[in-house]
Amino acid sequence: MKTKLLVSAAALALVAGGATAQDLKFPVGEGAFNWDSYTAFDEAFNLDGQSLTIFGPWRGEDQVLVESLLAYYTAASGVTVSYSSSEGYEQQLIIDAEAGSPPDVAVLPQPGLIADLAKRGFVTPLPAETATWLSENYGAGPSWAALGTYPGPDGTPALFAFPYKADVKSLVWYSPDNFEDAGYAVPTTMEELKALTDQIVADGGTPWCIGLGSGGATGWPATDWVEDLMLRTQPPEVYDRWVSNELPFNSPEVVAAIEEFGYFAKNDSYVAGGAAAVSSTDFRDSPKGLFSSPPQCYMHRQASFIPSFFPEGTELGTDADFFYFPAYAEKDLGQPVLGAGTLAFIMKDSPAAQSFMEFLKTPIAHEVWMAQTGFVTPHTGVNLELYGSAALKKQGEILANATTFRFDGSDLMPGAVGAGSFWTAMVDYVGGKSAQEVADAIQASWPK
Amino acid sequence: MHPALQALFVIVIGVGGCVFYFYASNLFLDKVLYPARGPNAGRNTNRANMIRPWLFLFPAMALLCLYLAYPVFATAWLSILDREGNFVGLGNYTRMFAEPKFVESLQNNILWLIVVPAAATAFGLLAAQLTDRIKWGNFAKSLIFMPMAISFVGASVIFKLIYDSRDANLSQIGLINAVWLKFDGGVGSFLMLRLVPFVLIGCLFLAIVWAGWALLRPLLQGQGGAALVKAGRVLGALVAAFLAYELAIWLFGIVTNELPYGQPQVWLQKRYWNNFFLMAVLVWIQTGFAMVILSAALRGVPEDTIEAATIDGANPFQIFFKIKVPQVMGTIVVVWTTITITVLKVFDIVLAMTNGQWETQVLANYMYDKLFRSLDWGMGSASAMIIMLLVTPILIWNVVNARKEMR
Repeated sequence: MKTKLLVSAAALALVAGGATAQDLKFPVGEGAFNWDSYTAFDEAFNLDGQSLTIFGPWRGEDQVLVESLLAYYTAASGVTVSYSSSEGYEQQLIIDAEAGSPPDVAVLPQPGLIADLAKRGFVTPLPAETATWLSENYGAGPSWAALGTYPGPDGTPALFAFPYKADVKSLVWYSPDNFEDAGYAVPTTMEELKALTDQIVADGGTPWCIGLGSGGATGWPATDWVEDLMLRTQPPEVYDRWVSNELPFNSPEVVAAIEEFGYFAKNDSYVAGGAAAVSSTDFRDSPKGLFSSPPQCYMHRQASFIPSFFPEGTELGTDADFFYFPAYAEKDLGQPVLGAGTLAFIMKDSPAAQSFMEFLKTPIAHEVWMAQTGFVTPHTGVNLELYGSAALKKQGEILANATTFRFDGSDLMPGAVGAGSFWTAMVDYVGGKSAQEVADAIQASWPK
Repeated sequence: MHPALQALFVIVIGVGGCVFYFYASNLFLDKVLYPARGPNAGRNTNRANMIRPWLFLFPAMALLCLYLAYPVFATAWLSILDREGNFVGLGNYTRMFAEPKFVESLQNNILWLIVVPAAATAFGLLAAQLTDRIKWGNFAKSLIFMPMAISFVGASVIFKLIYDSRDANLSQIGLINAVWLKFDGGVGSFLMLRLVPFVLIGCLFLAIVWAGWALLRPLLQGQGGAALVKAGRVLGALVAAFLAYELAIWLFGIVTNELPYGQPQVWLQKRYWNNFFLMAVLVWIQTGFAMVILSAALRGVPEDTIEAATIDGANPFQIFFKIKVPQVMGTIVVVWTTITITVLKVFDIVLAMTNGQWETQVLANYMYDKLFRSLDWGMGSASAMIIMLLVTPILIWNVVNARKEMR
């Protein structure tokens, strides 16, 4: 009796799980979505009974979002998708690849790591026309295509990864109420931002909340600061040479950018808790200082994903807002934007894997996620009115108005630096070492 | 095929295969190879019985070779190749020894090896002795043993909260900082932060100086036994001298330090000291293990030796140090070496709490870093080889001692 009960409960749970996975978030044919692309894809692919494993970085709420999107792919192509992720997914993927049991399709936010995997023959190159497609259909297309192009096992470059889902990093978050109460205006140049920082200190407040803590990855938020400041103090070509180590890490240009970060982070009166708290504060806790009363700080520089860590009930646009991390008026380097994003690539080739990459080209694959939350795309064929919030739309505009777009440098560097010595060195820097000292240490750790 | 069906298949084939192997090979030996009949029946039986143990051991030995010996050779091979798979000889090793982070891990590992087994064994012995005679001793023992049931990462999370630090005007959720902020430089602070630590560390200092002296004394008097024993005595005295030197610095620090009262401290970022904060986690976990084993050994000390000592007028300290401890010395050594091996493997605690930042790197974490962050299999394997070289002698010593214990 009891076994019977358990079995039927399990069966019921399975059926129920299947049922929710099949539910489509937005009914096909309704709303301003680009349903034509969906029906075209539906007609082009019929792979009933095939299955596809996808391994990606999205967990928690993001996993719900990506699964709501994958339901459309399943409904159109008939391919059963199992999506999985894990804490420490980069390491997991390397272990799986080395062990010979990689997922069919993997998604990673680190082009440097994908390049490494491609070089060792773990990644299947994408069809040549995909690069052309990217150049034509993505905003700043050639730079996105270049992002997924790496030398293969035999040294010839090919497009290996398809960029999908972008993040804008050059954002400063603030509380409009607090700014209004204190009578501060949103700065439009770096000079104004520095003046505002001093103004807040003069008024007895603390301008910045900076948190570098992230468990085993402690230090990464500082690398974003340095990259953003690199783009604001040097032309993008210098940035590219820096990322590939043609320009050594301990060159004066880079040391100056690190010191520029130190201007904000190593000044006890500029950061909540003093400079000592910077590397111990968790990056997830750090933005909460904006909303405490009295406010612990007035500004927080962080990428577009950070609202997930705002206190519950925080309303974007009213309680919290953001502005573009401004560029120096005197340097004449335009409006550079630092961003990031994830790239999908095939590790086990199959018709299903190929069809999934085709699916990512359809506007609907972007619109479904856009219309919900936390998704910005450089795809030019999508209906921008579908963005789930004004904030996302504004981020899309920042992306569109950028004169320069560059991908997160630490993700482009080799793992030993971008996910290792760069982090550690930034923690050491905030902890008291000099910029030259830590830059020398990073340069020494660069794999030869 | 459904995974459950696959699992069932594996179980049937695995178990069936085992049964089949033992039954069939035995049958082959007894009926075909050396049948216990015919003209050579007696000789055949003897031969079959000589082969039988190897027949039964063969699957286990083959699997051990596959799972233990092969990876060692594969690692040794990988450690002499570079990223591209070219032969570089000892290049990975020389590069590694030139790297400050590796030297730091080696130093930290040595510190861990000295402090954690000593502290865990000492606390374990103390707990075993103290809880032996009291009514609620078993309850106390279960409390001390409980951390053994917590995973290293779980324990790290608990201690991370204990060491947590936040801005002075927020309420502290970290236990240590909450206590720290109670001190204000008055009489209580002087007592708790200067006098008591000074007396405790001072006692430890004297004990270590005395132990070093006790090790050296026979040498100075021209005795000391075999050359190996002499070398051991000199080595022990050197370690004692090093510890005494460290403790002297601590004592000096306790007297002279300007303490930042009223400022929450970021404990895990205090260089040098943060190593000890990490070690506390492992000591907390391992004390229960040491206590259980040592308490069993203490119970095994013959009552009459204690009785005889009592009649001779020995005080409790003498009974403990001169009667009980020498009799459980073998167990102490086994416990000590077992914890030492655990310490050499320590990885999770460092990964979860600091990931080797702020100069807390240890060898196992360094290896992980090289393998999975830098994707440098050569250097990662080289550091794995170093760890193996360090573990092997301790492992052998542990096995020898454990076997001596069992006799």
